Amino acid sequence: MTVFYSSLWRKLWCLSPYCGHLGVIFARGCVLHPCHRLLRQYSHSKAGLVTAAELVSYWQDVFEANEIPEARASSEYIVSYVLGAKTFQSLNAGNISPYFSVQQQEQVEQLCAKRLQRMPVQYVLGEWDFQDLTLKMKPPVFIPRRETEELVTLVVDEECRKRLPSSDCKEPRLPPETHGPVILEVGCGSGAIALSLLKKLPHSKVIAIDKLEAAVNLTKENAERLNLQERVSVLHHEVSSSSWKYLLPWGLVDTIISNPPYVFHEDMTHLATEIHSYEDLGALDGGSDGMNIIREILHLACYLLKDYGSVFLEVEPRHPEMVKNWLRGHPDLSLVVCGTHKDFCGKLRFLHIQKHGR
Amino acid sequence: MVFGLARSSLRCLGFARSLARWRKPKSTRRLFCSQPGLQDLFALPALQRFLDQQQEEEQRQEAGARRGGSALAALARRLRRKEEELGDTERLAREDENEDLRKLAETEIVFCQEEIAELKRQIMLHLIPSEETDESDLIMEVTSGVGGQEAMLFTAEMFDMYQQYAAYKNWNFDILEYAPSDIGGLRYASAAIAGHEAYRQMKFEGGVHRVQRVPKTEKQGRIHTSTMTVAILPQPNEINLTINPKELRIETKRASGAGGQHVNTTDSAVRILHIPTGVVSECQQERSQIKNKAKAIQILRAKLYNMKLEDESRKRETARKIQTGTKGRSEKIRTYNFPQDRVTDHRISRSVHHIEQFMLGEELLDEMIQALGEYADFEAVMEVISESDLTRLR
Repeated sequence: MTVFYSSLWRKLWCLSPYCGHLGVIFARGCVLHPCHRLLRQYSHSKAGLVTAAELVSYWQDVFEANEIPEARASSEYIVSYVLGAKTFQSLNAGNISPYFSVQQQEQVEQLCAKRLQRMPVQYVLGEWDFQDLTLKMKPPVFIPRRETEELVTLVVDEECRKRLPSSDCKEPRLPPETHGPVILEVGCGSGAIALSLLKKLPHSKVIAIDKLEAAVNLTKENAERLNLQERVSVLHHEVSSSSWKYLLPWGLVDTIISNPPYVFHEDMTHLATEIHSYEDLGALDGGSDGMNIIREILHLACYLLKDYGSVFLEVEPRHPEMVKNWLRGHPDLSLVVCGTHKDFCGKLRFLHIQKHGR
Repeated sequence: MVFGLARSSLRCLGFARSLARWRKPKSTRRLFCSQPGLQDLFALPALQRFLDQQQEEEQRQEAGARRGGSALAALARRLRRKEEELGDTERLAREDENEDLRKLAETEIVFCQEEIAELKRQIMLHLIPSEETDESDLIMEVTSGVGGQEAMLFTAEMFDMYQQYAAYKNWNFDILEYAPSDIGGLRYASAAIAGHEAYRQMKFEGGVHRVQRVPKTEKQGRIHTSTMTVAILPQPNEINLTINPKELRIETKRASGAGGQHVNTTDSAVRILHIPTGVVSECQQERSQIKNKAKAIQILRAKLYNMKLEDESRKRETARKIQTGTKGRSEKIRTYNFPQDRVTDHRISRSVHHIEQFMLGEELLDEMIQALGEYADFEAVMEVISESDLTRLR
């Protein structure tokens, strides 16, 4: 334990209401090595004073020693958050150089203690960004992934294309600009998809459903924070339930969008601790072939969707082929896969399904 | 020869300044009469030759092939006629026996002079060449130069100054990259600036800025000289520049394995490589990856557009004192001398005092930028004239 008598360590130690907890971790001896370096580093600076950069590298070392994934990024996000910035790179010279106040150091430490317990950074901060929005995040409501931002872009692009005058006229009279599309989102979670669509498509309306009450509440809360509650109807509803009529307050819908649970059940055991211990696994587990909810959505689409309406789904890379096959076996649904799209990693991730008229 | 002429007649800036005043449509006609600069410029034989040539050319080929040629020739013709009319009227006012007629002639003279001034103003507007980038927004890059930590501290102050200037001008200022140093300085940063005439005005800020002062880090009270560089890149619109998406390699922090719901990563940095040119841009300002990507593309587009413009401008070598693009970037344009509380722009030899106020990014900086714009307009006009003079002599 001798290394911990470095000035910084003493400082943190005394401040921390989490002494006990950290003590356990440190006692394992995991963080010995980084502190050697810190000792040297801090002998130069005045005792008791820490800057953002120093704090970031200190906690990075602690995270690394404890095998916390994304050690650098986690440390940067937490320190920046305490300084009121979103990323370390967006800190300006003004707030990067001053020394941290005691309260701020304390706050960093409290947040880092949560991260040390493998809590996802998004839950640690209680907020995260999605497209143009900053959304509140609360466990166990599913944290939106980076890929899903692309799903929203796909729908927005498609919507813009439809509204171009040169578009083919299968739908002869497009409603005027003031009557945007009606969109149903299945499994809204924190409201990321629904709310960014409302933001990007100013005349749209969204019905957002989720089977988890915490998700329904969080979507409502986020909608109100962003002042979008007028155009969204958030309902506590299980997609497999037979009563779907009350999902149509605005008539048949133009588009259904969903990031349904699509992880194959057997893969659930390989998920990282962050996901396993904190997120609602119901938002991930898609059953033995990952298609349980996908099938429910496609059944529902048959009733709720207007002719030529679209379903946009985020799926597992194996799913596009599986969904195509399944739809071939269910011609009564009048649905056909009309496009697949890759995500930024080049994996087949998004399905565009269209309903053809009968 | 013409250049020498321009230099000598330009020793004072009033000349260029008066030229800029003509740009402003709201200035009244009366104002022009009291502009000595105007008379001086039109007294230049080179300008007279230029206008003559425009008219000759027009006579030779009816449809003016040259840029603005025929409109300019028409203006020059009207100007010539008005000047003849003025001469006649002046003779009348001087020599006529009838006093009423002389009085009438005198009022006529005033009208004539006003019209001449207006014609000259319009000719000037035709002569200032318009550029593709006039309406553009821009990306500003600041980089610390010689002088270590002190240069980085100065870079941070300069970046703040431009941020405040953008607010003063009601422009949008969106930080794209920001690489601070440990003690509150700035190694490198870039920002997108958008608003009315943003590029037109900011383009003169590109170059090496030099600071002379006792750094905070200096213990023995010695004055250091440090530098930082500003680059101003016009932002292309969809038409100016198209990029084939296949030529881009977009790099992100990839999650191992299946991706999607299987992993939860937070690193949202984006780096984009334009394969044919090797130009790279990156952004990690945002927690949203898609926003980082949009910003990185914005930076990349500005860089590529700048390269394209430079390719074009390399073909037409100019000797202007005020350069934009790479040519201007390596040039020492301005000194911030703290002991003397003075800011000097070396291109127009203009000095102002009150550095602190200057660096608030308000009136003082704005006046400097306006003066540079006016001088640049003047140089542009002189260049048009001298180019044509050279062709004529050849």
